[in-house]
Amino acid sequence: MTTDVELIEQLKNIAIFSGLSDEALAAIAQHASKRKVAAGDVLMRKGDPGDSLFLIHEGWLKIVTVDSKGDELILNKCGPGEAIGEMALLDRGPRSAGAVALEDGEVLELSRATFENILDHRPDVALGIIRKYSTRLRFATTYIERAIDWAQKIAEGDYSFIDQSQSLVNAAGDDDSKAAQLLSAFFTMVRKVKEREDTLKRQLEKLTFEIDQTRRKQEFEEITSTEFYSNLKEQAKTLRLKRVQK
Amino acid sequence: MSSTGKIVSIHSFRGGTGKSNTTANLAAQVALAGKRVGVVDTDIQSPGIHVLFGLDESKMGKTMNDFLHDKATIREIGLPIHELVGGAEGLSKLKNAHIWLFPSSIKGRDISQILKEGIDFNKLNEGLQTTITEFDLDYLFIDTHPGLNEETLLSIATSDILIIILRPDNQDLQGTSVTVDIARSLDVPNLLLMVNKALPKYDPVEIKKGIEEQFGAPVAGVLPLSFDIADNASSDLFSLRYPDHPWSQELRKVARAVLSLE
Ligand SMILES: Nc1ncnc2c1ncn2[C@@H]1O[C@H](COP(=O)(O)OP(=O)(O)OP(=O)(O)O)[C@@H](O)[C@H]1O
Ligand SMILES: [Mg+2]
Repeated sequence: MTTDVELIEQLKNIAIFSGLSDEALAAIAQHASKRKVAAGDVLMRKGDPGDSLFLIHEGWLKIVTVDSKGDELILNKCGPGEAIGEMALLDRGPRSAGAVALEDGEVLELSRATFENILDHRPDVALGIIRKYSTRLRFATTYIERAIDWAQKIAEGDYSFIDQSQSLVNAAGDDDSKAAQLLSAFFTMVRKVKEREDTLKRQLEKLTFEIDQTRRKQEFEEITSTEFYSNLKEQAKTLRLKRVQK
Repeated sequence: MSSTGKIVSIHSFRGGTGKSNTTANLAAQVALAGKRVGVVDTDIQSPGIHVLFGLDESKMGKTMNDFLHDKATIREIGLPIHELVGGAEGLSKLKNAHIWLFPSSIKGRDISQILKEGIDFNKLNEGLQTTITEFDLDYLFIDTHPGLNEETLLSIATSDILIIILRPDNQDLQGTSVTVDIARSLDVPNLLLMVNKALPKYDPVEIKKGIEEQFGAPVAGVLPLSFDIADNASSDLFSLRYPDHPWSQELRKVARAVLSLE
């Protein structure tokens, strides 16, 4: 299985490995251990200290958590080619969810101990991972800075960035990082907010009554300055007097 | 014979605000309150109020145009709507009321002639006064052509009560401001504003307040825009046919305001 091309491709899909050469990935694959799982086997428990990554080779797993009543809640299902628990290789945080085999299958397990052992001998692998993380962080920072900038503009009622930012958001759509997703969700939100604000403004505009007093005076004078009008005014006055007398 | 009847002109700066519709419904409501009512169509350029009373050309004999040209007396012109109403659900409620229509000619030749010659104020006025005395009217409603032209100035000058209809937008407000100034310049004794076609999503209380503040004149009613009215448009009176509709309820407020003016 050392030169398994398919396995190397699968490892490449794991975010932290995506910057590594095929040769480095082959070295990692070599140290991973194959493990049979039976339906119902628990690979990870939520809250346990994480100490290995699993790459699913065969069969399906469910990713679970518990709801407020203590009942199992399925968050996701993962199948062949997908990896779970990758963060455990780099930090020592607890598992954020549990993983249970839905059927008999096979996974590839890479423990943190094994992984750290590889890193001891292969500084190029460590560097590849650091570079990858650094790039992702750079993008994330850009996206977050952008989001902060937009938030400030929105606070001032300036939505002009919407038209200029569509391409950036489209580019971010190709990036599967959470920061890119945040930016894209943020952008959608801003457009919706603006739409609602526009509708509201239209309603308010109609309700703020304004009269152009200069025009009002001009039009009044245009009508009242005619001979027809002065005659009419005289006649109307006489008429009203007559009516009062009756 | 003394003429105590009041002349009520319904006016709007722009067309299509609902003048004819409002005039017909107001006149009918006031008639139902036991008053003797006349309706004059002085929209000589585009008369149309007869349709709302279920009348077509075949029922119309002499018109206001004939009177203005000394070809007919007021007596000959008045059409007793209460006698002419057919089976229409709303209009038939007028059977025991006293309401007459004084139509304008809808013939093109008559229209162009009167426009060319203009209307003489004293003649028109004499006609309106005769209408009131001959038919012993309490109220004479005048439906006018939109805008501030000579005919409408005449009807404003002669009225005891002027009702200006406006839609709640700035364009109507601007035009209404000039009409309000003219009405005051011509010493019209009573000025009422009426809002029509108000979008239901706006608060009518706010609209009333805003407009009253602008003009210092009372808004007698804020009538909602409703497609029910346009749907009903042909040959029946909406407020008689659908008395519980919000539009009808608000219209009756305007009718009460007219009745309360001394
Ligand atoms: N509150 C309302 N909601 C919806 N439609 C209305 C309302 N009031 C009137 N309309 C409709 O608007 C149109 C114009 O009404 P109407 O003929 O009474 O106006 P007008 O001011 O007399 O018009 P013109 O200036 O042409 O004489 C008609 O189709 C009528 O049915
Ligand atoms: Mg009309």
